[in-house]
Amino acid sequence: MKSKRALLITLLILVAMVLPSAAVFSQDETVELRMAWWGSQTRHDKTIAVIELYETLNPNVDIVYEPSGWDDHWTKLATQAAGGDLPDIIQHDYQRIREWVANDLLLPLDEFIESGVIDTTNIADASLAGGIVDGKLYGFNLGNNSETFVIDVDALEAAGVELPPVDWTWADFEEMALKLAASGVYAAGGNLHFSEHWKGLYISCCDSYAYNAEGNGLGYTEEEDQYFVDYLNMLLRLQDAGAIPTLEETTANANTSVEDSYIVTGQAAIEYGWSNMIVAIWTAAGEDRNFIEWTVPRVVDGLPRNYIKPSMFFAISKDSDKAEEAAKFIDFFTNSIEANEILFAERGVPVSSAVREALSSQLGPAQQEMFDFLGVVEGYNSPIRPPDPAAHADINSNVYLPQVVEPILYGMMSPEEGVKILRDEAELLLSQ
Amino acid sequence: MMNTENHSAQTIPYRESSQPRVPWLQRKWMRTILYHGFVALTAIAMIYPILWLFGSSLKGSDEIWTNQAALIPDDIKFDNYSNGWKGFGSITFTTFYKNSFIYAGVGTLLTVSASAVVAYGFARVKFTGRQFWFGVMLLTLMLPIQVQIIPQYIMFNKLDWINTFYPLLLPRLGGQAFFIFMIVQFIRGIPNELDEAALIDGCGKIGIFFRIILPQLKPAIITAAIFSFYWTWEDFLTPLLYLNSPDLYTVSLALRTYSDPSGQTDWGAIFAMSSLSLVPVFVIFVVFQRYLVEGIATTGLKG
Amino acid sequence: MGDAIIKFPTRQPKKSRFGRNNIVGYLFISPWLIAFILFGLIPMVVSFGLAFTNYHILRGWDFIGLDNFHRMFYEDRRYWNSVRATVKYVIIAVPLRLVFALAVAMLLNTKRRGVAFYRAAFYAPSVVGGSIAVAVMWREIFAREGLVNYLIGQFGQESIWWLGHPDYAIWTLILLAAWQFGSPMLIFLAGLKQIPGQLYESASIDGANGIQKFFRITFPLLTPVVFFNLVMQLIAGFMTFTQAFIITNGSGRPLDTTLFYALYLYKRGFETYEMGYASAMAWVMLVVVALLTAIVFATSARWVYYESQEGK
Repeated sequence: MKSKRALLITLLILVAMVLPSAAVFSQDETVELRMAWWGSQTRHDKTIAVIELYETLNPNVDIVYEPSGWDDHWTKLATQAAGGDLPDIIQHDYQRIREWVANDLLLPLDEFIESGVIDTTNIADASLAGGIVDGKLYGFNLGNNSETFVIDVDALEAAGVELPPVDWTWADFEEMALKLAASGVYAAGGNLHFSEHWKGLYISCCDSYAYNAEGNGLGYTEEEDQYFVDYLNMLLRLQDAGAIPTLEETTANANTSVEDSYIVTGQAAIEYGWSNMIVAIWTAAGEDRNFIEWTVPRVVDGLPRNYIKPSMFFAISKDSDKAEEAAKFIDFFTNSIEANEILFAERGVPVSSAVREALSSQLGPAQQEMFDFLGVVEGYNSPIRPPDPAAHADINSNVYLPQVVEPILYGMMSPEEGVKILRDEAELLLSQ
Repeated sequence: MMNTENHSAQTIPYRESSQPRVPWLQRKWMRTILYHGFVALTAIAMIYPILWLFGSSLKGSDEIWTNQAALIPDDIKFDNYSNGWKGFGSITFTTFYKNSFIYAGVGTLLTVSASAVVAYGFARVKFTGRQFWFGVMLLTLMLPIQVQIIPQYIMFNKLDWINTFYPLLLPRLGGQAFFIFMIVQFIRGIPNELDEAALIDGCGKIGIFFRIILPQLKPAIITAAIFSFYWTWEDFLTPLLYLNSPDLYTVSLALRTYSDPSGQTDWGAIFAMSSLSLVPVFVIFVVFQRYLVEGIATTGLKG
Repeated sequence: MGDAIIKFPTRQPKKSRFGRNNIVGYLFISPWLIAFILFGLIPMVVSFGLAFTNYHILRGWDFIGLDNFHRMFYEDRRYWNSVRATVKYVIIAVPLRLVFALAVAMLLNTKRRGVAFYRAAFYAPSVVGGSIAVAVMWREIFAREGLVNYLIGQFGQESIWWLGHPDYAIWTLILLAAWQFGSPMLIFLAGLKQIPGQLYESASIDGANGIQKFFRITFPLLTPVVFFNLVMQLIAGFMTFTQAFIITNGSGRPLDTTLFYALYLYKRGFETYEMGYASAMAWVMLVVVALLTAIVFATSARWVYYESQEGK
């Protein structure tokens, strides 16, 4: 009896040992990739359709996808990073990628480009430059974007205001805003206090940036603080004149969606945002409306502020043991015309010129406007600014908004005072 | 004031001395009308936002923001429901509902039964270390989950439990501190005489629990079941962290994946699916609350 | 730690049953104890340890002693903003919720026709919870053209940007909490159900009126449940997170007036990845909440009435 049981147990153990390895052998053909991104339903549907297309073309690949909203995406990724369990393909962001690279979580993609796994023959170097950190490419650009003022053409007409020149300045904007206010619409929807304006201002005035190239200090001098003071004073004047919503009003309306934004509801003639936003705005507003994308105003006698920026990246996690398969998918996502006919520039203007060409005949008015606008910005040949330093998230959410911009625009602090706090606190965080 | 009046009017026989002096208030039908008038009005105010949510779920995409304040849409459309139900990819809400029912159903069953057992131990058995362990249990309620996420994730990852229901369900085998504490309070409201009578009849602690305490705990257990189901149903954080593939997503998690502030959002579908996701929770409440009506006081006590 | 907090009014255990009581006691609490040791203990201990490190989720950690606490108390302005917002919220929202819950529970503790419907109606707000639809709905109610401004307009008040005004924004969250009083209400209701009807009958015979009955019967017999709700709402009040997270998108705006403690802690942990600092914040809160709970427990002997201690 006893020996029989012992035999049985031995057999069981043997089977147990063989089974998993057998399973591995039989699955040898199938590669499982994990991929995570953030977005709304439109993006989920399109991305999943492309994944399914890829799976039909490559039956040996199985892509497990993890779609989320923006907040959840980052909460989950941080947790997975701590647990050493990151997905193979990660949708990444321009403001965060530097920090992830600095902490050795992402894989450089250069080898896949050299080996031709990712085909970049149709992609301009400038389009890839945004994903380069410390000389290596970590983030693969999924679409080109630029800051823009989306203008409601009909609202301007109704107010009897001419379209501004492309090289307009904040002074021109202020003048126009007052005229629009007189006709009963706000000039802007309320995004003019964003830190993008602080950062962009120093491109225009000083051919610099809010941060220096090394990311360990501010990129402008103490005398140049005045430019930001002037900008904040302008916002205060426009707020008082009722030409832009007060920060109180903006805060009360914040986080509502594109569908509820002032340019869609007709309460504002202009909305600041990223160029790919026009598609959502136009869809929400209806086809009978007319929108145009315009450059963001410059400082008087300043340089153009617009430059081409990657809307978002795909990155491959450092721990991925199927990096090459992941790279193949990125190549497909970028270069396949069939895939991009599904994606349809939802993540910004495609970086591949071949894809752009193939799509050009099918564009609706909104996409057409976005493509045209990026053509204009490309003409400036402005250099891309380096990805934000790791401290940016901290500076933006713990200093810039609550300690500087909010008190100023609520009238509790002078711009001079606030800008000094910004300098001191930001320098402190950047130096750490 | 008024509450107690109405309350007493229902639970005790009439007695002149306990009635207000105002003559018209002495009429029973007058008081009934007052009660219903007041409560119904308040109730409508309470559910107004939910009616609005439901109304919005029937609005077409053009109407949702333009006719925002309206409770009843100009043009009733059910498209949002069929569109929303599609989910994303090839995974529909059928899958999300199935997962939610597993999580909330099994989770509630485990939580409530374990909590009742543990609560009895804390409330009626005097063992060494009782106060210490009860204190520890309360402390677990005071540490924000946000700082426990990472160590917990690493632990479950080491166990290779990611993308399974284990991290969601197994911790429930021990009950949950909130319910344990709640049931303890209810048990302590039950007179000791009953235990002692049972003791004389030869019952042990275990026998007392099942024969005396458990039947008396019905209101508490039903309350715990209602909450536990609802809290599990709406929990998105645990599923977010531990369930990777969308075919394991729960309803609450799926609802969160739809909106992105800068992108296009199908609000009609979100409203429709949000309204729909309230239904199971609500049904559970309506079914269970019937047992709350016939509470302990009317069922009588058996020694 | 637990001994300091919990004071059960204990009877002396009978010596002969002592050993058996231990076995039976641990047997009954074993499900919780085992689950706690397996799943709860490690994360708690780790987070305590991390409070003394500069743990950055992506970067790793170094031991830094008490630096986190120094930074919290002396250098971090937003920390104190979050303390202010949370204390204000707890002081207002917790009593409000409890009073609403008790009043409505008493109102609904009747056998009138239609009471099942009323219960459902009063519980309904609590099941909409923290979904994104609630955020939109609540913003709509407090919008410029929303219901609340319409109502105050009837009294000649000017419209307010509720969610943007530093004095009023927190009230939208307090009202949301008050509106969702379903859980303490149900617990009160279950407690009321447990009070034997005979007590009221005999009180009536003695000629007690409604108010007297409330203070002599209802409230004393309900105190275990009142006590439970008070403790739990207090703890939940300090940890409040979801409402602020969905309605202000976790920004704490305007001017940090809605920056609740747990929200700020979350932002430090997951937005800037400073999990060591977040852990330190969490443990400071745990100590404060534990002390407050201990105070409530200490007073409980004076006002909480346990039926099970009667007649001994």
